[in-house]
Amino acid sequence: MTTRGLGQFYPLSSPVHALDPRAKLLATAVFVVGLFLVDSTMGLLFVAASLVALVVVSRIPAGTFLRLLRPVLFIVALTLLFQVFFSREGVTLFEWGFLEVHSGGLRLGFFLALRLLLLVSSAGLLTATTAPVALADGIEDLLSPLKRVRFPAHEVAMMMTIALRFIPTLGEEAEKIKGAQAARGADFTEGGPLRRARSFLPVLIPLTVGAFRRADELADAMESRGYRGGEGRTRYRELRFRVSDALALSLTLFLLVVGILL
Amino acid sequence: MKLELRDLRHVYARGTPFEVEALRGVSLVVEPKEVLAIVGGTGSGKSTLVQHMNLLLVPTSGQVLVDGADATTLRRSELRRRVGLVFQFPESALFAPTVEEDVAFAPRQLGLDEEEVRERVRQSLRALGAGHLAGRSPFALSGGEKRRAAIAGVLAMRPEVLVVDEPTAGLDPLSREELLDLILGLRESGVSVVLVSHDLDEVAEVADRVCVLHEGRVSAVGTPAEVFYGDPTQAPATVRVTSLLRGSRPEIGDPVRSQETLDALRALQGT
Repeated sequence: MTTRGLGQFYPLSSPVHALDPRAKLLATAVFVVGLFLVDSTMGLLFVAASLVALVVVSRIPAGTFLRLLRPVLFIVALTLLFQVFFSREGVTLFEWGFLEVHSGGLRLGFFLALRLLLLVSSAGLLTATTAPVALADGIEDLLSPLKRVRFPAHEVAMMMTIALRFIPTLGEEAEKIKGAQAARGADFTEGGPLRRARSFLPVLIPLTVGAFRRADELADAMESRGYRGGEGRTRYRELRFRVSDALALSLTLFLLVVGILL
Repeated sequence: MKLELRDLRHVYARGTPFEVEALRGVSLVVEPKEVLAIVGGTGSGKSTLVQHMNLLLVPTSGQVLVDGADATTLRRSELRRRVGLVFQFPESALFAPTVEEDVAFAPRQLGLDEEEVRERVRQSLRALGAGHLAGRSPFALSGGEKRRAAIAGVLAMRPEVLVVDEPTAGLDPLSREELLDLILGLRESGVSVVLVSHDLDEVAEVADRVCVLHEGRVSAVGTPAEVFYGDPTQAPATVRVTSLLRGSRPEIGDPVRSQETLDALRALQGT
């Protein structure tokens, strides 16, 4: 029914969940940038250990967290293989026909793969521990300085919230339409890729039509409840940046600096 | 044909925290040439149940039998032709540029020749009083017209059992009347109809048998009189009125349809 995957929120109560979304957004941004400055294997392993510790603190079960990462494992594996087989640095460890594995390639492959994995994990931890609404509020706040140059921060955040909210709804709708067309003899598994793609037209057309209808209805519903954009709008849940948030952000920064220096 | 459901169970999202047991052992027979109504509150499992009738949903356990043969041994396309399923709000699955093309979708999937397809499209649209809509775009129609076009799209397969999930929801009274007439007409021509409905008054008018679902189980099944007089608090208006009179005037009997009820009341007045 509901799709579980990267970007899914896992509502639990943990110190990480309780942090201000802005602190988590900033920490993630710092983390992502910092990752590219870490250039030693030791440093990267240190950062990886820190992230593992963070996941433990967030109380998200390890198995669940790994399942979150499943969609990107393919790309990670590809990165690894590519480096392992096509890099010619260091001593030759293994030779088989035209395939050669060098120590440098192996090291670089693991390094890049781990970096990619950490990159995705940090984003995954952010979305897993932050409710979509809180995330949108945080983004809106962080973007609000740009309002001076007429950047529609609130509108962008609202669009993100709505888009996230409607993913499961459209998913359900797609299932229903697929069922209705299957009842009329549609087959989504037969034939080559082109025929299969064509067989999805009877699903995609009504889905698109329905999405536009829903958008219209939602706009009407919002306007009839007095929504007029971000101007002068107050919030039910006010964000508060506490000492713990500042500490969490500093800690992230500190761990990364250690990682970079190692 | 005879469609038999044996001890069906269905669990959604099994093995996750979101697990829901929608059907908890449902056994039910759809006899040839009958109108079987399935009623029950929201979340009682009605929609889940009907999707098992053509195996769009595969039961977690239990069996579906078509004329005594296990439905899983039939070709899926064959099963779905013989058991036509009209989803709730079927108009949300219209997709072709014209109504005619949309109705032609199912017969074309059956691999019929073009002439036969045309003939079936014409017939099913006519059966729904929608012949004049053939050339129009399905997206430009009114709600009731869309509903008819969508039902015609399933009827064009000439199913032996037609399963309709809440076909009259949101329709105006006249369209509702016409749709119920269509159901009775189909039964006349030998098709069994499974009607899922919230509206007990319409069930009273067309059903030969009624099955009540409650929390994934069959809580009552039988003729409309048996089921509705068994629990007159959950009954059509006709039964609620007569069951109040029955205390002092038992000779009123157990009428269910409005015409029967009217006759019974007149007879009562005459005596």
